[in-house]
Amino acid sequence: MLFSRQWLGRYVELPDDVDDLCQRLTAAGFNVEHVRRVGDDLQLDLEITTNRSDAMNHLGLARELAVVYDSGLLPPEVDTTGCDRPLDGCEISVDDLGDCPRYAARVVRGVTVGPSPDWLVERLESIGQRSINNIVDVTNFVLWETGQPLHAFDLATLAGPAIRVRRARDGESLTTLDGEERELDAEILVIADAERAVALAGIMGGLDTEVGRGTSDVLIESAHFELQRVRRGANRLGMSTDASFRFERGTDPELCLWAATRAAELMAEVAGGEIAPGAADVRDAAVDWRPHGRLDRASLCRFAGVEIPADEIERILDGLGYELTRDAASETDDAWSVRVPSWRYYDCEAWRPTEKPVEKTGDPPGDATPGGGAPRVWEADLYEEVMRHVGFDAIPADLPALGAPDAGSSASHLLRERIRDHLSACGLAEAIDFAFHDADADASLPPLAALVEAPSSLDEAGDGDGSGGEVVRLANPLSEKYALMRRSLLPGLVASALFNQRRGAEVVRLFEVGHLFAAGRPEVEAVGLVCGGVSPLPWNAARRWDFFAVKGVVEDLARRFGVELAFRPADLTGLLPGTAAEILVADGERVVGLLGRLDSDETTFPLFVAELATAALERDGEAVQVEAPSKYPGIEADATLTHPEEVAWRAIADAIEAAEVEDLEAYGLKDRYTGSGVPQGAVNTTIFFRYNAQDRSLTQEEINQRHLALVDELEARFGLDTEGDA
Amino acid sequence: MAEHLERFERQASEIDDRAAWEELRLAWVGKKQGLLKDLLGRITEVPPEERRDFGQAVNRLKETVESRLDELDRELAAAEEAARRAEAAVDVTLPGRDPGLGSIHPTNLVVREIVEIFTGLGYSVADGPEIESDYLNFTALNFPPGHPARDEQDTFFVEDGRVLRTHTSPVQIRTLRDRRPPIRVICPGRTYRVDNDLRHSPMFHQVECLAVAEGLTFGHLKGTLEAFIHRLFTEDTGVRLRPSYFPFTEPSAEVDITCPFCRGDGCPTCSGTGWMEILGSGMVDPRVLAEQGIDPDVYSGYAFGMGTDRVAMIKYGIPNIRQLFDNDERLLRQVRG
Repeated sequence: MLFSRQWLGRYVELPDDVDDLCQRLTAAGFNVEHVRRVGDDLQLDLEITTNRSDAMNHLGLARELAVVYDSGLLPPEVDTTGCDRPLDGCEISVDDLGDCPRYAARVVRGVTVGPSPDWLVERLESIGQRSINNIVDVTNFVLWETGQPLHAFDLATLAGPAIRVRRARDGESLTTLDGEERELDAEILVIADAERAVALAGIMGGLDTEVGRGTSDVLIESAHFELQRVRRGANRLGMSTDASFRFERGTDPELCLWAATRAAELMAEVAGGEIAPGAADVRDAAVDWRPHGRLDRASLCRFAGVEIPADEIERILDGLGYELTRDAASETDDAWSVRVPSWRYYDCEAWRPTEKPVEKTGDPPGDATPGGGAPRVWEADLYEEVMRHVGFDAIPADLPALGAPDAGSSASHLLRERIRDHLSACGLAEAIDFAFHDADADASLPPLAALVEAPSSLDEAGDGDGSGGEVVRLANPLSEKYALMRRSLLPGLVASALFNQRRGAEVVRLFEVGHLFAAGRPEVEAVGLVCGGVSPLPWNAARRWDFFAVKGVVEDLARRFGVELAFRPADLTGLLPGTAAEILVADGERVVGLLGRLDSDETTFPLFVAELATAALERDGEAVQVEAPSKYPGIEADATLTHPEEVAWRAIADAIEAAEVEDLEAYGLKDRYTGSGVPQGAVNTTIFFRYNAQDRSLTQEEINQRHLALVDELEARFGLDTEGDA
Repeated sequence: MAEHLERFERQASEIDDRAAWEELRLAWVGKKQGLLKDLLGRITEVPPEERRDFGQAVNRLKETVESRLDELDRELAAAEEAARRAEAAVDVTLPGRDPGLGSIHPTNLVVREIVEIFTGLGYSVADGPEIESDYLNFTALNFPPGHPARDEQDTFFVEDGRVLRTHTSPVQIRTLRDRRPPIRVICPGRTYRVDNDLRHSPMFHQVECLAVAEGLTFGHLKGTLEAFIHRLFTEDTGVRLRPSYFPFTEPSAEVDITCPFCRGDGCPTCSGTGWMEILGSGMVDPRVLAEQGIDPDVYSGYAFGMGTDRVAMIKYGIPNIRQLFDNDERLLRQVRG
């Protein structure tokens, strides 16, 4: 927001040192973003936070500077005598004081609309505003001077003449100053005359009642509209103006009449004419715009962590417009009852998220005092005022002495970090994709979030009735490309893999850990992998990233957490038939993930993907128990089985397990071979077996018997009948 | 004897490997058919008066042969050792075989570093879902419905009315709701805002810190921030707190650090100011505590939050945020830490 240094200097004495001015403004909470020279003036671009609408004008900011530089504030003098008499010449009424708690107006008669004097033009131009005519310029000037939005009506164009603040009627319309015809409805507050809507309350005036060359009598509106009402209207109409911006952030309800009079005096000065006697001031007398509270110096100092003298507290708060009364009953005299200035009402208001009870004795602060009095202000709001003017720099840094941690870190966090360590050690690089994509991406691979039945500790949103699983759609996506929340990490990972392929990668190894989303389900945390290609350098003992390489990484990851996985052939979207598998935890039927080769003609080399819900890796219960190795040497034996290639390893392994051979300590796949010497359609599977006992050395003879019996059984069940029956 | 010796010397001079040496040894001093044994055996054939000289001559020959054999043995052993060493020798300057180490995403490395700093200070990690209710993302954080501060959050809405969390602050609320003070948590996570340009990604990462206990002060906030920033950046990094506004803290402070590129001298990255805005902080607003049933007259707290993507970009010299999320392995694999 732009400010003129000279204009500020009209209300407070400022030093010549601009750097000092900027530093002090920033230190008080008004960050100076840019300083620009405009003629012999300086234009300051300040960041004013949304809670400080009272400082979005020169007088308000000057008030802060007066405290910063410990000098007096010099507001313009305005003569409000006679304002207690009724306004002559226009009937003013407000339908609902809830929508419009205050409506003040004054009339200036006999003005000559024309160009503004130079000083007024220069003031407006110093903050980048354009001069229009003397009447409109005065309303703008007062807005930027005091923060009170004003509107000037050509009194002669108001039917009645009357002003009525009411809701628009459905079907009513109004052509606003910008020439747009606006369709209105009952959510929108309007200013109407005796016949029709003539302005959008707090947003923009109407074209028909605009002040122009022929205008002689002007009605100055200076009102306080309810924040939400203005906001709803502006949103509905898609409008934002200097006026609505301020009303939405809260204006000073006590300023209305003063600002109207200030504008009337300036109009009389720059456009001639005479201020009509009396003023309109319709207001809700029940509302006290000055919250009250208590301030205790000891508590403030404890909170801030620094000693602040009582007179400094008084100087700051007094300068900012707070009314302090020393609490005589206090032992130390360092406590005050405080009344907040009306221009800080909205910043200090007692709004609370909901009315939840606080477990405490005494009255919770912030609730409106029974009987409709002023609300109580939280002490922290007062602390802030003092602390930012004492200066955050003046508060010494100190590390708190805190005891033991209150709780351990979340299990899912620890799990995630271990997954990252493990997969990166396995050679994969961690990727991060957006959590939203388009319908094609969603449909391209299986929606793991909808498939898994894994429990998740992340959210209580899921109702657990097995329904849901549909895709979650954003109401306001950046574009259709980013409209759907991902139900799988794989579409994003595949896109990244293709991106790397297009850039010439000969090997791709990526993983991601992230949340998946599905309607009616808790968020699922998953880990996804995409790998393919061969490391290009033979020196590095080139590793081929094929199906079994990826499967090995997945199995190894699970084993790291003491979890055994099982793999079941399945038909899965986007994966090449015959390469796709569902992943289950070994001891159950829970599907926790999937694995397979990507079915795509876009890839320059085959890509293999896997995805697993991380909950599957959370082993509950006790640590894995080890078996002490035998102190006797074991006996190893291999067996090569020639069998039809349709026979699944799982079936052979199951048969070995089922045989429960005594002293068989371990077995596993040693190698697979097809080619010369192996009949067409068959495969040689070499299995290693290791026999051992805890209490003695086994003899070759006792093993031979068991081993040969086992091998015979496997041959009989799975072997290719090479002898032939004929 | 002389011819024996001459013959032995001739044979010995032809020895060039262990097998020939063994053959020679067996032929001359072998226990069964060695020539010297044979010669000694023939002492009975020598006249008694010559036996003494004969015996001595054979023994001298034996000593000479054995000594020469030992010498040859040492020579052969030395040659064998030399050969063994020559075979083992490598060019130690050749590169090691790359086991193919992968990498952790730069943002997550920064998060990890931050989390480690705070777990060292006694904080624990809390996390939560990325789709949140309006209540947890806004209302409970003292954003009144319809408040303009909500506009600044550029929120993605889900069709069912929930939101993609615009900050990790809902995790603070979950923590305040589920635990009682003293509370000390660090909350890392993904966050979302409707913002997509050269400097902003619609998905980004934050870490937030929350401490609530009896007697926590603004000085404690400052001390914690300084300790943290000095660990994350460098000990001599300047820290500046300036008053600001966040609905859920009171007072609130933006935290600037001396620009890590120019060390505070002013450069294009910091728009010549020498400062870089790095995080938002403040004392937890009493409304936020009271809303979760924690008495603000008894407990106070501080909180702060920062975007970690920009820290990762600064730390690893990644020029723009697109490159942080386009998952080019050539970039990702350079990141170590």
